[in-house]
Amino acid sequence: MGKRVNVTGIAVLVFFLLLGVLISIRLTGLGSNFPNPVGGVLQRVLSPLEKPILQLGNGIRDNTKVLWDFREVQTENEALRKQVDQLTGDNLKLKEQVLAGIRYTELDQGQFRSPSLDTFAKIGASVINRNPTTWYRTLTLNRGSQDGVAANDPVIGALGLVGKIVSVSPTTSEVLLILDGEGQVSALVRDSTGNGTFGIVQGTYKRGSRLTPEGNLQMLFRRADNVNAGDLVFTSGMGGVYPSDVPIGKVKEIQLDPSGLLKTAYIDPLVDFDALEEAYIIKK
Amino acid sequence: MRYVLVAVMFLLSLILPGTVFHFWAWSGIKPDLLMLLTIYIAMHHRLPSSVLWGLGAGLLEDLYLGRYIGMYALTLAVVACLSSWLTERWYRDNFLLTTFMVFIVTMVGQVVVAFLSLGAGLNWSLGDIGQLVIGVALYNAVLVPVTYPLIHRSFLHGWLRYRPRYER
Repeated sequence: MGKRVNVTGIAVLVFFLLLGVLISIRLTGLGSNFPNPVGGVLQRVLSPLEKPILQLGNGIRDNTKVLWDFREVQTENEALRKQVDQLTGDNLKLKEQVLAGIRYTELDQGQFRSPSLDTFAKIGASVINRNPTTWYRTLTLNRGSQDGVAANDPVIGALGLVGKIVSVSPTTSEVLLILDGEGQVSALVRDSTGNGTFGIVQGTYKRGSRLTPEGNLQMLFRRADNVNAGDLVFTSGMGGVYPSDVPIGKVKEIQLDPSGLLKTAYIDPLVDFDALEEAYIIKK
Repeated sequence: MRYVLVAVMFLLSLILPGTVFHFWAWSGIKPDLLMLLTIYIAMHHRLPSSVLWGLGAGLLEDLYLGRYIGMYALTLAVVACLSSWLTERWYRDNFLLTTFMVFIVTMVGQVVVAFLSLGAGLNWSLGDIGQLVIGVALYNAVLVPVTYPLIHRSFLHGWLRYRPRYER
């Protein structure tokens, strides 16, 4: 004779299990700072293994790349040489004009100061792992709470904004990239005259697929807003996470919505996220 | 020995997707190795112990990722339960059938992850979720002919074989 199955009991158990998991997921979401000693130990043990594997992979990729696209590299090299010559000439002209500007006008010297990236207190870190699951675009850095890193600290690369810290263990921390739809940034688009238009930068998933490796950023504007291709996008400093004036990217293309009321600006990030190996964590 | 080997495989399943498979990703899609390992373990255990293995593996991944604790614990418990249930009905020595099973079970597992992630506020289009679910399931299925024969043999005759206490 088969065992009698207590269906109500199982249903109640499953219900409370699901409820418990949903509450736990809610409490330990992105950016929450709950204590996770087991995770810390795991990260501490595994991070020395992860870094060499990633470095080895990067090395193999970089060294064999030239074999696959030799022809392309050659033509690119020729084009770049020409461009270098042209830019050297342009640069000389510009330097002359800048010197003339300094000499003959009374402009504020401040505009020749180095970009704002140099003014923050930073912790340097290397990328030791990339998103272990495909659902989020994240990186793992080799700095953790022992180095003073905390959740929601902004992360920048040599050229611009990378993302923010979402979880920290004593020796590692995880960065949510701005390419991820979850990591939205309050931003300011500056046109060539320096006028700003505010908006929100978000990782796109509407245009192409979110799965494309290079990723894209987008911003929504009213039709009347004065935003053009080529304008630079900076963080606005609002929202409390990112400091102001960190470069994010350049407006690549603008598309009008079918409704005619809005337009979408597609933004080319300045940071090459796929090749990123080092980043800085900003201490606020 | 058996438990040391399982622990090493668990740790490798956590490390490899973010490192080695970062270079072998198909348009951003990587295999879910821990899910694959959980399926293999569940195929060689009875239902209750499969579910316990799934819960343990999932909790380990949740703690390693450090967020949404419970998401993978629940998912891998469901995956283990389903795999164990299917193995009782299907012939586990048939590698082709196992490949198909891994595809189906991974797909179910990824749908559970997607469902829980959407509940946690993930902002994805349905098309992309579908592409990702099928992509990960396909990738896991492709890995079966490479990995399953070894692990299956080890579970039957090798280090991974369960030995009752009186035999040790």
